[in-house]
Amino acid sequence: MFGVPELDEGVQKGLFYRYQDLAPQLVPLDYTSCPDVKVPYELIGSMPELKDNPFRQRIAQVFSDDGDGHMTLDNFLDMFSVMSEMAPRDLKAYYAFKIYDFNDDGYICAWDLEQTVTKLTRGELSAEEVSLVCEKVLGEADGDHDGRLSLEDFQNMILRAPDFLSTFHIRI
Amino acid sequence: MFSDDQLNEIIVEAENVPSRVVPEKTPVNSSFSMVSSISDIDVTDSQSFGNPDDKKSKQLLRFSTSLNESFLQTLHRSPGSVGIDTSHENIQGQKLIASLIPMTSRDRIKAIRSQPRTMEEKRNLKKMVDKEKSKQSHRILEFNCCAQCLNSVSQAYRRSKNSLSELLSYISLWQKTFKVIGGKFGTSVLSYFNFLRWLLKFNIFSFIVTFSFIIIPQFTVPEKNTLQFTGLEFFTGAGYFQDTVMYYGFYTNSTVQHGSSGAPYNMQLAYIFTIGACLIVCFFSLLFSMARYFRNNFINPHIYSRGITKLIFCWDFTVTHERAVKLKQKNLSTEIRENLSEIRQENVKLTLNQQLIHVLAHLAAWVVSTGVAIACCVAVYYLAENNSEFLKNHQNPGAVLLLPFLVSCINLATPRLYSLFRLVERYETPRREVYILLIRNIFLKISIIGILCYYWLNIVAQAGEECWETLIGQEIYRLLLMDFVFSLADSLLGEFLRRLIGMQFPTSLGLQEFDIARNVLELIYAQTLVWIGTFFCPLLPFIQMISLFIMFYVKNISLMMNFQPPSKAWRASQMMTFFIFLLFFPSFTGVLCTLAITIWRLKPSADCGPFRGLPFFIHSIYSWIDTLSKRPGYLWVVWIYQNLIGSVHFFFILTLIVLIITYLYWQITEGRKIMIRLLHEQIINEGKDKMFLIEKLAKLQDMEKRANTSSFTMERRDVEQTSPLHVREHNAAHDLRFRRSVQEENPKV
Repeated sequence: MFGVPELDEGVQKGLFYRYQDLAPQLVPLDYTSCPDVKVPYELIGSMPELKDNPFRQRIAQVFSDDGDGHMTLDNFLDMFSVMSEMAPRDLKAYYAFKIYDFNDDGYICAWDLEQTVTKLTRGELSAEEVSLVCEKVLGEADGDHDGRLSLEDFQNMILRAPDFLSTFHIRI
Repeated sequence: MFSDDQLNEIIVEAENVPSRVVPEKTPVNSSFSMVSSISDIDVTDSQSFGNPDDKKSKQLLRFSTSLNESFLQTLHRSPGSVGIDTSHENIQGQKLIASLIPMTSRDRIKAIRSQPRTMEEKRNLKKMVDKEKSKQSHRILEFNCCAQCLNSVSQAYRRSKNSLSELLSYISLWQKTFKVIGGKFGTSVLSYFNFLRWLLKFNIFSFIVTFSFIIIPQFTVPEKNTLQFTGLEFFTGAGYFQDTVMYYGFYTNSTVQHGSSGAPYNMQLAYIFTIGACLIVCFFSLLFSMARYFRNNFINPHIYSRGITKLIFCWDFTVTHERAVKLKQKNLSTEIRENLSEIRQENVKLTLNQQLIHVLAHLAAWVVSTGVAIACCVAVYYLAENNSEFLKNHQNPGAVLLLPFLVSCINLATPRLYSLFRLVERYETPRREVYILLIRNIFLKISIIGILCYYWLNIVAQAGEECWETLIGQEIYRLLLMDFVFSLADSLLGEFLRRLIGMQFPTSLGLQEFDIARNVLELIYAQTLVWIGTFFCPLLPFIQMISLFIMFYVKNISLMMNFQPPSKAWRASQMMTFFIFLLFFPSFTGVLCTLAITIWRLKPSADCGPFRGLPFFIHSIYSWIDTLSKRPGYLWVVWIYQNLIGSVHFFFILTLIVLIITYLYWQITEGRKIMIRLLHEQIINEGKDKMFLIEKLAKLQDMEKRANTSSFTMERRDVEQTSPLHVREHNAAHDLRFRRSVQEENPKV
């Protein structure tokens, strides 16, 4: 009913109610007039599925229209459709790439990797270890040796990580 | 799997939802959403054996990729620009639409769906394509009514399939529990519970089939049960239960017919065909699951097997519990540190002495483990053989439980003994350690089942006892029951005690982690017994269904109370592939062998069961074919039986064809591996070329700048300087062309 391919109707309805629950005063129950409503990032980030995820801010930014984290219903459904079990691997890899690309330049450079590792380890690793890790990752995954990961490098690497499909998945 | 037809319906319905008009100019950020997948996915993706639909959509993706890549490159050159050349985008959009129009609606939906665009854009794209298509179709003649009929039939079929799958997803068991488990423990522990649910589906299906086709007809011709009911029957399976639908011996061999006009129901044929149908469905379902897992998880053994990249990019998004996330982050840091230190230590070579010690340790461990397995089998066989005399001496009806008790003790103690070998042996990778442990455990369990089957089929079946099939059924029931009781005790008591002990000495032991391998092997063991036992005890799937149900809740509660999340990354998908393979290869094939021997070689008992009096079980089929051959309407069945199923030539030719196809696919795989390697080298070379050109360009620009500053005074020297520059540039381009031609030659080799 909302045009989301990977989710069936019951789940879409459930998602709509979840969206509505986040901001009942903002989101009308009647969507036939297609109101231009955006739920602010703070409410999205407080959802139980996302509130402890280290990448919740990036996820919201990637799926929102303007990159600021405020999501319309379409963005919301898009997000859960891509993060569902049924989304194809390429779609997931593409969005994962965007999530890990912190500076939005279309490549995962060393700075993006540092940000990723810091978020993943919550400051447990020293700065030297972090840069060592980034070096190793670039050494392993950078196919054309230009010092940063392009989308192709990332997808190539994902092909060899079959766990990716099951871990890049948010249950709703 | 959510089908494309459902997608079709949904997008069709989405047409009716008025959507906001998408502005023509899309901002820079969303331009990246137009980049699709890589174009060499056809080569590197191991799913390339897939159906033509995928190939078509990949071709489309490749097509739009090349368009969009050039688009993206223009963007990279001007990162600061806000607007885009809308006419350029429109041309490319129209090309995309033009390529989508000739596709069938299924392919179109697939292609649109796999585009990484927002939903608004996908909806608009579909609208535009449909508008263009309807413009074109005015010129096409109407379908003739045959095609229209077929169309409506297929649509009705698709709709019913949709509603059925929706219904199935509504009654999908335990969705919420899975979410909680995944949130706290991650996908690895979840894979065990998934496996349990999957086995439950097998059992539910077997139960429904046997219930409808064997048990219900038997209920309509009941025989009087004269035995006494005492409570002990639940444990021993004997006594009152002997004369119920639970066991083979109760079933009639007659043709059930109610009234003179009712259809005759041949119990013999029903029994053998029902069991056969259950097994065939299980076989194909296992085969397809295994094939699907292999295809999705095919690993090209590459540098990433021990790599750090997977740790970084495969963060488990399903973990949602706050404490679990913190713990996972801590564990990830530890693992990263270990990985870094491993990479540093990788280059340390062991001395000859140390290598020898390691080899000896491995050898000793293998000898001991095999010896223990053989000793256990001998013990089981010895006890089984002497069981009958033992039972005669001890009149206690509970004495029959001794053999199952011993088997369950072996199953409990020996895997833990195998885990202790870890202290002596040192493995290069933890993955190899897990695999070897699994192989040893499965060897033990399968040998025990094997020795028991040998005993049952060779001794019990030919001892001339009254109703040997029922006896075997009772044995299997007792084994399963004892195994279930031991698992319950282990989960409820053992793990609880372990947690108490762990909390008393907090520093040394700590909380335990869920041992996925051991638990999955227990499930495989129980399922093997159920498959063997269904022939002798048709109610066994029902019993296993109940026990799996209870096990789920018990394990869940124990998990929440006594365990901590796993500290090491566990390759869940690879492991699941291996488990399903184990379920297929030693387990299910062993079951098929056992049942084949039973049906073809053993003599049914003379007084009980549906096959009483026949020389072999298979004679029921032979006599059926004989009766059919006398009826003129069914001669085709007889023909199929004699020429396809009964004929050796047919199987020989079939095997030959399968071998040829396998060989061809193998050669294709090898060729593709070579192609991957060459393309990888080419990518590296292209990267080097790019760096070379960039350096060259920088140098030239430098020189030009210097030349320009001094050009006001010395123009003649400029002319002299630029010409060698041009020559150098020409040489560089020549080098590049030469290198490229060398690379292009390589794939042709």
